[in-house]
Amino acid sequence: MLYPNLGRIVPQIQVSCRCELLRNDEVRDADSGKVRNECGDNDNPSHTLPPGSEVEYKTSSFPTLLLNPTQRTLRTTLVYIDQARRFVANRSVHLLFFGLSLWVLASEARLRGEEDKGTLKQLKQATNEVDFGRQIRPILAKHCYSCHGPQTQEAGLALHEFASATRALDSGSKAIVAGDPNHSEILRRIQSTDPSEKMPPEGEGLSATQVQLLKDWIQVGAEYKAHWAFEPLSNPEIPVATPSVTQQSREMANPIDAFIAKGWQRKNLVGSKRADPRALVRRLYFDCVGVPPDLETVEAFVKDPSESAYEELVDKLLADPRFGERMARGWLDLVRYAETNSYERDGPKPNAWYYRDYVIDSFNHDKSYRQFLTEQIAGDEIENPTIETLTATGFYRLGVWDDEPADPEQARFDGYDDLVTTIGQGVLGLTMNCARCHDHKIDPIPQKDYYQLVAFLRDVTPYGNRGDERSNSQIDVSPSPVRGKLEANKNRIKAIQKQLRKIENDGIAKMSDEDKTAAKSPDRNKVLEVKLKEYISETDWKEYEELKKESEKLNKESESISAEYRLGLAKCDPKPPATHVLMRGSPAAPGEEVQPGFPTIYREVAPKIPEVSADDTTANRRTVLAKWLTSDSNRLTGRVIVNRLWQHHFGRGIVRSSNNFGQMGDAPTHPELLDFLVQQLNENDWRLKPLHRNMLMSETYRQSSAAEQAVVDADPENDLFARFNARRLSAEEIRDSVLAVSGRIAYKMHGPSIYPDVSDDVKAGQSVPGKGWGKSTEAEQSRRSIYIHIKRSLVPPELSVFDFPETDVTCEARFLTTQAAQALNMLNGSFMQKHSTQLAAYASQNTSALKDKLNKAISGAFTRPATATELERGIARIQSYQTKFSVDESQAFRLYCLVLLNSNEFVYLD
Amino acid sequence: MTKQNFCGRTRREFLWQSGCGFGGVALSSFLTADGFFSKANAGQTPSPSAFLPAAAAKAKSVIFLFMYGGPSQIDTFDYKPNMIGMDNKTITVKTFGRGGHRNEGRVVEPRWKFKQYGQCGKWVSDLFPNLGECVDDIAFIHSMTADSPIHGSAMLMMNSGKILSGSPSLGSWINYGLGTVNEDLPGYVVMLDPSGGPISGAKNWSSGYMPASLQGSILRAKGAPILDLQSPDGVSRELQRELIDSIAENNDAHLQARPNNSELSARIKSYELAFKMQQSAPELVDLSQESQETLDLYGVGNKQTDDFGRRCLMARRMVERGVRFIQLYSGGSHNDANWDAHGDLATNHNLHAGRTDKPIAALLKDLKRKGLLDSTLIVWGGEFGRQPVAEYQQSTGRDHNSYGFTMWMAGGGIKGGQSVGTTDELGAAAVERPLHVRNLHATVLTQMGMDPNKLSYFYSGLDQKLVGVEHVDAVKELI
Repeated sequence: MLYPNLGRIVPQIQVSCRCELLRNDEVRDADSGKVRNECGDNDNPSHTLPPGSEVEYKTSSFPTLLLNPTQRTLRTTLVYIDQARRFVANRSVHLLFFGLSLWVLASEARLRGEEDKGTLKQLKQATNEVDFGRQIRPILAKHCYSCHGPQTQEAGLALHEFASATRALDSGSKAIVAGDPNHSEILRRIQSTDPSEKMPPEGEGLSATQVQLLKDWIQVGAEYKAHWAFEPLSNPEIPVATPSVTQQSREMANPIDAFIAKGWQRKNLVGSKRADPRALVRRLYFDCVGVPPDLETVEAFVKDPSESAYEELVDKLLADPRFGERMARGWLDLVRYAETNSYERDGPKPNAWYYRDYVIDSFNHDKSYRQFLTEQIAGDEIENPTIETLTATGFYRLGVWDDEPADPEQARFDGYDDLVTTIGQGVLGLTMNCARCHDHKIDPIPQKDYYQLVAFLRDVTPYGNRGDERSNSQIDVSPSPVRGKLEANKNRIKAIQKQLRKIENDGIAKMSDEDKTAAKSPDRNKVLEVKLKEYISETDWKEYEELKKESEKLNKESESISAEYRLGLAKCDPKPPATHVLMRGSPAAPGEEVQPGFPTIYREVAPKIPEVSADDTTANRRTVLAKWLTSDSNRLTGRVIVNRLWQHHFGRGIVRSSNNFGQMGDAPTHPELLDFLVQQLNENDWRLKPLHRNMLMSETYRQSSAAEQAVVDADPENDLFARFNARRLSAEEIRDSVLAVSGRIAYKMHGPSIYPDVSDDVKAGQSVPGKGWGKSTEAEQSRRSIYIHIKRSLVPPELSVFDFPETDVTCEARFLTTQAAQALNMLNGSFMQKHSTQLAAYASQNTSALKDKLNKAISGAFTRPATATELERGIARIQSYQTKFSVDESQAFRLYCLVLLNSNEFVYLD
Repeated sequence: MTKQNFCGRTRREFLWQSGCGFGGVALSSFLTADGFFSKANAGQTPSPSAFLPAAAAKAKSVIFLFMYGGPSQIDTFDYKPNMIGMDNKTITVKTFGRGGHRNEGRVVEPRWKFKQYGQCGKWVSDLFPNLGECVDDIAFIHSMTADSPIHGSAMLMMNSGKILSGSPSLGSWINYGLGTVNEDLPGYVVMLDPSGGPISGAKNWSSGYMPASLQGSILRAKGAPILDLQSPDGVSRELQRELIDSIAENNDAHLQARPNNSELSARIKSYELAFKMQQSAPELVDLSQESQETLDLYGVGNKQTDDFGRRCLMARRMVERGVRFIQLYSGGSHNDANWDAHGDLATNHNLHAGRTDKPIAALLKDLKRKGLLDSTLIVWGGEFGRQPVAEYQQSTGRDHNSYGFTMWMAGGGIKGGQSVGTTDELGAAAVERPLHVRNLHATVLTQMGMDPNKLSYFYSGLDQKLVGVEHVDAVKELI
């Protein structure tokens, strides 16, 4: 298929659904009062799609090229094609779309060369392969299914399945003859100009590009290929690689390397040489424990960079308790971990930090991912729950919570949506959330699937209500005598409240009209305080006073008993209300009732939920869900987690969109490797450290990031991992490194979160400056960033400017921005100022010679010996500060320490 | 040859496209050898179809004057003469505020007299004698509605279009769409009330699921204007320069061995931007270049109006320097420190109107005489309005009201001297031409040259939009 005239290819593809929830009042049609259940995107008249249709594209008046709608690829391609078009229209501007980043880089000429290649490469990809899921099904769904699809089969034709599309029709012809476009009636009809024959009968018809796509697809066999991620796991064979594909002709002992090398072979690439030993140790440390190595470790490895030395290092780091601290952060990003609720009060979630420690420990103990998930999904429901498994249910309580929702019922389902979104994307890589208001427009996820998942979670109570944020969410895990006493107090207080209320109400009944009204307003308590005595008998008043005193006493007593709590599912609803499909996502418009069930794509029978007995405290559904999620045969859970591990070590997932394995997500660059890794997961009973180990031991991982220009040219996106992806350190890694190299870091694990000092300027943004932000000791402030208190409305700048994620929603990968605010923070921020002083003092220990101090500072900061040149450079600078700005040597040295911490080498990893 | 692309934008404009809010140099490893588009969603740019033809872009900057707490419509611009004489009468009226749903209440009639102003004869209350003179440039929307009458979620709604926490704010959307023209200054600036930030704090200028470079930056009228802008004591500008040179020297040496990594060059560039910003931001907030007449016009130097006057004047200076989105909060903190008049209505509104009336009128007049009003869109309003009835047994305080309230827009191609929509005779709910916060947002985006129904950002499996799923129209009468 060819596009002879680049200038004509102007895709204006827009996947039309950009749905998010519609509020109650919009559900009913204003005129008819009827419930609408279509997406009201008037922009796209054809938005109301027939069942079974999954995607539609909005086309412009230009000929339309249907492209792989994989999000990033799509956008990339669009940009490329935009460029291509502009290239034709006006060569001089074709580059500019990429904006500043490009502009600051290098000569335009060099880049222009790269881009032209990119354009051609992208176009080639787009034209060579016809992908049923991305390119063909959308055309059929939009233009054909409404008459020839799963619901309606006019003239006996249904185009949604191979069998029905290729069988002989009533007329004798066949719509599709696989491999034979000339005899495929569909092609004749969609190109016909005869109004009595033309298909589809109404509208503009299909574009030439669409016709060509269909033709190509039929030519190669009209395969109705399912989306890769929805297919059961494959059993890929480990490729036999020719040794010549690596420069050093090493054996492909690690299957990962064999899979990767196979990709190189196809493109005639060779991998990059091994990374320099110093770079490798540094990489390994940040990757596994999130802090730099010490110089001795680095130099020991430089002396003996043998296989066994490397292996030893890998094993040491995987066993290091800091490993869990490093890995935990990625999981916390994924499960929208924060310790406050957002909204007006942004109140604290007490004991949330136990969940953070639970995650750290789980990774450190190499708990199987199966158990890890099961505990979080159903840690309260499984047999013999422990404090640990109860802590895991904190998972359900981490999201945002509005204590004063305008529409409480809607807010309740917003809460379920938060869970469905997090489980759907986080565990399954499915954007289940897109099916809240109607069937998923892209993936085969009917709306019913969404509510079946909600039904599994239906016994999960809301976080709390205003006035009681504890009963549902704070699990009492105290020893039983303590619990007994507390329970007794609680019951007595409840009884007292009842009595008090009765006395109050008797009094109110006798009040004057004015007082009565006042007593019914939110001022009730104030009014009662002043007026109640007037209206009740002395005996009642005496009793009232005494009861109040007793209640206060009991409250105090309960507070003084150190009960231990965990954030989590403290109370569930064992007999939850029925779950309905909600029309347009609105609880005001319930539709069909649904039972817990698995997504349709799995084609599995409905689960059996164990009967709920009188003493059950949950609805027994979540264990069933957890069991299904974590079964070896669950094609998505395994793929999603091994992909996350890969992303962690290699900078991007095999599937780049690690939260979206659906058709809008990115295709895997190495699908066989992905399934192979899932096999390894199964073989290791879902323990993750063996997988980490295999990845770290691979030659692929050990490659240099400094690639040959030819490799970069051939594979600019590094699709094939023929080099390592260099990266900037994350916010936490930068902060922890600063603490580490200045000799201040305190590796104390676990416990309540810490509050780094935040300047008044930052607190000024709060409605009550400083509220909810505690003060930690200096020693506590020297602890690792994983222990920083996560307050949704106040993120310390050290984290926020370096792309700490939005905590309200699941985050699959951090952004990596480069901005002036970061430079200002690192130059002038109080944390950096303080620690440059620390570094200077640390480097000055036991020496007063400037050169020695500088040597120590450089080698400490960059974890390598200082070179003669840079020592000279540094000393010249330090002297210059002294002479030009009349600062003394120690101040000048301190400034140079700040320079070192600001240097690229400090914040970038090769 | 003029360098134009199909959207009619120039080369310089194209450079904005990298979506740089605060001196952003590079989003992700954009086009770098090693990680082209390697991180989730980083480096998204709006689809070309999100832009209206160049001629449709009337405004270049937005100044959102956020009357935090919710001013009362019937005491300000929504004239209800029929309520006079109804004071203290108990009437049937549906209300929903922080006190919940109610069906009746005691009328608190408007506490200020109204006068007609301008050619258009707009009735404006005595709270705004100065602003009254500007009514011919102002278009009032009396039929605003919002989804929530509770501060937390209502603030999020007005700022991000959603009552749920976690979405990008209007200023982030505008900077995502248009990028910045002045890389020495943030493209999205928030100036807070001296009494404190609004409820929910930084959530109100969050970039949500977009990169942090698109979030609002707090600009302070006093002290260091931007966080960490000021070099510490003992570091002069010359020394700062030398420090940055020292860093660059190390970075250049480091870059030699890594020529393929453009992120490194971008980071070098970010220090130069920071250095420039250290000069341009203090210059921005330095009002000494302004004439005494201008200072007087804004009420700078007058105790009552000094703070808001300064901030309004700085807003004009930001507009002159190409800042895209500027938000000034009138009122902060809690209770009567903002427009949330639950107690004594008169005291509260006299205080806040008194502080802002003259400065806002000055801003309109000053922009106009400088020829900037046509390209600067001013938006005035709170997160909701207030009820016609009293909240409590005693006192004149009004509870929140999102069923109907007033906002106004001026400049930026808005046709002034008109009023759109009405509320019922009590001002309790929108009656004619009910409009939603989404319509307001759509109008702002439209005036900035973007199609609100096409400006989208892919996140969580969806093309998310500021205005949500349904097609939303801008308020056509206004433009």
